[in-house]
Amino acid sequence: MSQSAMLKESNDTHSNQTLAKRFKIWMAVLIVSMIAGGGAILYRVIEGLAVTNLSTFVPWGAWVAFYIFFVGLSAGAFLLSTLIFVFGMEQYERVGRFALFTALICMVVALTFILLDLGRMDRAFNAMMYWNVLSILSWEVRFYLIYMVLLATELWFAMRIDLIKLAKDKSAGLKGKLANVIRLGSSDTSEISAKKDHRWMKILGIIGIPIAIIGVHGGTGTLFAAVAAQPYWNTPLFPIIFVVSALVSGTALLIAMYVIQRKVRGKSVDLTMIKGLAVLMIFFLIIDLTLEFYEFLVAGLSMKPDKMAVLDVMFTGPMSWSFWGVQIFLGAVVPIYLVFSKRTNQSVKALTIAAVLVVIGIIGVRFNIVVPTQIVQSMKGLPEGFYFPNWVEWLSSLGVVAMGLFLYSLGARFLPLETQEGEVKGHE
Amino acid sequence: MGTKYDVLINEGLVNGADILKSSKYDTSLGLNMAEDARRLSDGLISEEEFVSKYQESVSKEFNQKLEVHASEGSHDNVKWGMVIDLRKCVGCETCTVSCKAENRTPPGVSYNQVFIEEEGTFPNVSRTNIPRPCMHCDKPPCASVCPVRATYKADNGIVVQDADRCIGCRYCMVACPYGARTFDFGENYDEMLGYEEVTSPEHGMDRGKRKEGKAPVGTVRKCNFCFHRLERGEEPACVETCIGDARYFGDLNDPESTVSKLANSSRAFRLKEEYGTEPRVYYLR
Ligand code: SF4
Ligand code: SF4
Repeated sequence: MSQSAMLKESNDTHSNQTLAKRFKIWMAVLIVSMIAGGGAILYRVIEGLAVTNLSTFVPWGAWVAFYIFFVGLSAGAFLLSTLIFVFGMEQYERVGRFALFTALICMVVALTFILLDLGRMDRAFNAMMYWNVLSILSWEVRFYLIYMVLLATELWFAMRIDLIKLAKDKSAGLKGKLANVIRLGSSDTSEISAKKDHRWMKILGIIGIPIAIIGVHGGTGTLFAAVAAQPYWNTPLFPIIFVVSALVSGTALLIAMYVIQRKVRGKSVDLTMIKGLAVLMIFFLIIDLTLEFYEFLVAGLSMKPDKMAVLDVMFTGPMSWSFWGVQIFLGAVVPIYLVFSKRTNQSVKALTIAAVLVVIGIIGVRFNIVVPTQIVQSMKGLPEGFYFPNWVEWLSSLGVVAMGLFLYSLGARFLPLETQEGEVKGHE
Repeated sequence: MGTKYDVLINEGLVNGADILKSSKYDTSLGLNMAEDARRLSDGLISEEEFVSKYQESVSKEFNQKLEVHASEGSHDNVKWGMVIDLRKCVGCETCTVSCKAENRTPPGVSYNQVFIEEEGTFPNVSRTNIPRPCMHCDKPPCASVCPVRATYKADNGIVVQDADRCIGCRYCMVACPYGARTFDFGENYDEMLGYEEVTSPEHGMDRGKRKEGKAPVGTVRKCNFCFHRLERGEEPACVETCIGDARYFGDLNDPESTVSKLANSSRAFRLKEEYGTEPRVYYLR
C-alpha cells in the first residue's frame, strides 16, 4: 500500500453530501428489499414449508444451496484474511478487516437461511440442546458458533487501536460513541499493545484455519459427502471441492466488495492488489475445475448407474443450463478470459466483472450440488422429482441477502474497517 | 377396549356417569377406573400401580380378582421384523391404504408404498410389485445423520421417530436409501368431515387434534411398524389387511418364529444390501 494512494484520497472530489446521499439511497433500497423479503418470510413462517416448491421428493432446495454458498463465502473470506494476518502477505492488507467482517456477516446470513429451512423453526434450539456424535450436522452447528466467536474476536483485535482513537475523537459523532462501546474499556494504544494485537490475531488466525477448513467448510462438505444414499455426493473429493470453491468465491467476493466500495466513495483502487487477488482467484478456480473434472471423469468411466443418472440430469436435464451456462460459462470461462486476456486485465472494471461472475458461478455450483442428485429418486418406482424455487423462496432469499448487505453497510459505515482509518478520516 | 383415537365417537356418546348410574355397581369406582385405564394405556402409570390401587375395591364390588397380566407375552427380548413374499403380492396397495387409515397420515405422507417394476420386452416381460415400508434398518443412516437424535434405533428393532424433538431439517430424508421418509407439510384432507380430529396415533401417543403448526406438522414422518398395535398384541395394519397374505410379521430374535424361518430361506433377500444398512424387512423372491 503506497503513500501516493493515500494522498490521492485526500484529493477526493466527492463531497460529503453526495456520499451521504448515495449511502441513503443504497440503504433505502436494502430496506425495501428487506421488507419485501420479510413479507415472504412471514408468509412462510405462518403457512409452513408448504408454500415453497420443496417436496418429499426434493426435500432440500434453494435455501440449503444459499446456506452452503454463504458458509463457503465466509470460509473463503476468512482464509484470505489469514494470508494477511498469519502469513504476512501485506500486499493484501487493505482488505484484511473487510475479509473478517465479511466472513462474520456471511455466517449470519448462512444461519438465517438454514433457520428458514427448518420445518420447525421454533425448535431450532434443539440443535444445541441435543447432540449426536455421529451426525456431522450436529458438529457443524457447534463449529459455526465457535467460528463466529473467533471471527468477532479477531476482528476486534484488528480494529482495537482504531476504535480507541475513534472513541477519543470528539468529532467522530455516532461512530465515536459506537467505538467507545465496542472497545470494551480497552485504552492502550502503545506500540507494545499493537504488537500484542498482532500476535493475538496471528494466534486466532492459526486456530481459525483448521476450524474454517476442516470444521466449517470441509465439515459442510462432509455433511453431503457422508450420505451414502446420494452417490453423487458420496466421494472423498467432495469436501475438498467444497473448501477450494470456498476459496474461489471468498476471494472473488472480496475483490468485488472492495472495488465497489472504493468506487462508490469515489476513492482510488489499488490496481496491483486487485490484479494479485484476481490471479489468486483464477488459480483457485482452476484447481476447483480440475477436481470437478476428475470427479465427473471417474464417475463417468466407472459407469455406476446411479451416479450416471445424476450426471445425466446435471448435463442434459431441464436444468442443465445452470451447469453449462452459469457454472461453466459465466462462472469459469468468461472470468478466466477476462483475467488472462491482455486487453482486459489492466482494467479494474473488467477484473471486477470477472469477480462478480465468479461469485454468481459459485451460486450455480451450490445449486448443482444440492438439486440434481435429489431429482434422481432413491427408489426406481418413485416419481421423478423436479425443483425450481418459487417466488416465496426467491423473495425471502432476496430479503436475507439484503439483510446481510444492510448489516455489512452499517458495519462499513460505523466501524473502522478501513486500514489506517485514522489518517484518512480527516479528508472524508 | 377404548382406543384413543375414537374421540369422534366419544363426543357423540352420552355421559358415562349417567350410564354407570343405571348399573347396580359403584358409579365413582367405575369412573375412576376408566380414568386410570386411560392413563395406564398412555403409559402414565404402570399396570402394577393400577392393580394395587383397585384390587381391594374390585374384589369387594365385583367379587373378582384383579391381576397383573402385562408380563405374560412380554416383548422384552423381541426384535421385530417383517417378511414380504413378492410372489404373493398382487400390487393392490391395500397395505398403503390401510396404513394411511391406521396412522391417519395426511396428504403427501405415506409410510408404505408399492413400487411396480417391469422388466424385459414383450412378450418376455415380468412384473414385480415391491411393497416398501420403512426397512427399520439395523444400521439406520437416517438415525446416524439426525443432529438431535429425533430418530433412533430402539431395542425392539424399531427405528423410532420422535415427532416432539425433530427440528424438520430433512437430513434424514436425503440420507435414507429407500425413500421411506416423508415430510409433513401440514396439508389436510379437508374435504373429509372431522379430518383434524385425531393425529398420528404412532407410538401410542394421543396428540389431540391436528392443528396447523403443531407437531407432527413440520416434522419428518415414517413407518413405525405400528408400534401402538404391537403393544396391544396386534400385527401392523399392513400385515393384517394384506389380501394376498404376502406379509409376515414377528420376532426375528426367535429362531422358531415364522419370520425367522422365512428370512433364512434361500428365497430371502433384502433391498440395497450393498449400503450396509441391514434392513429388518426381508423379501422372498
Ligand atoms: S429404511 Fe430409511 S427411514 Fe427406515 S430405518 Fe432405514 S434408513 Fe431409516
Ligand atoms: S428432520 Fe427430524 S428426524 Fe430427520 S434428521 Fe432432521 S431432526 Fe432428525
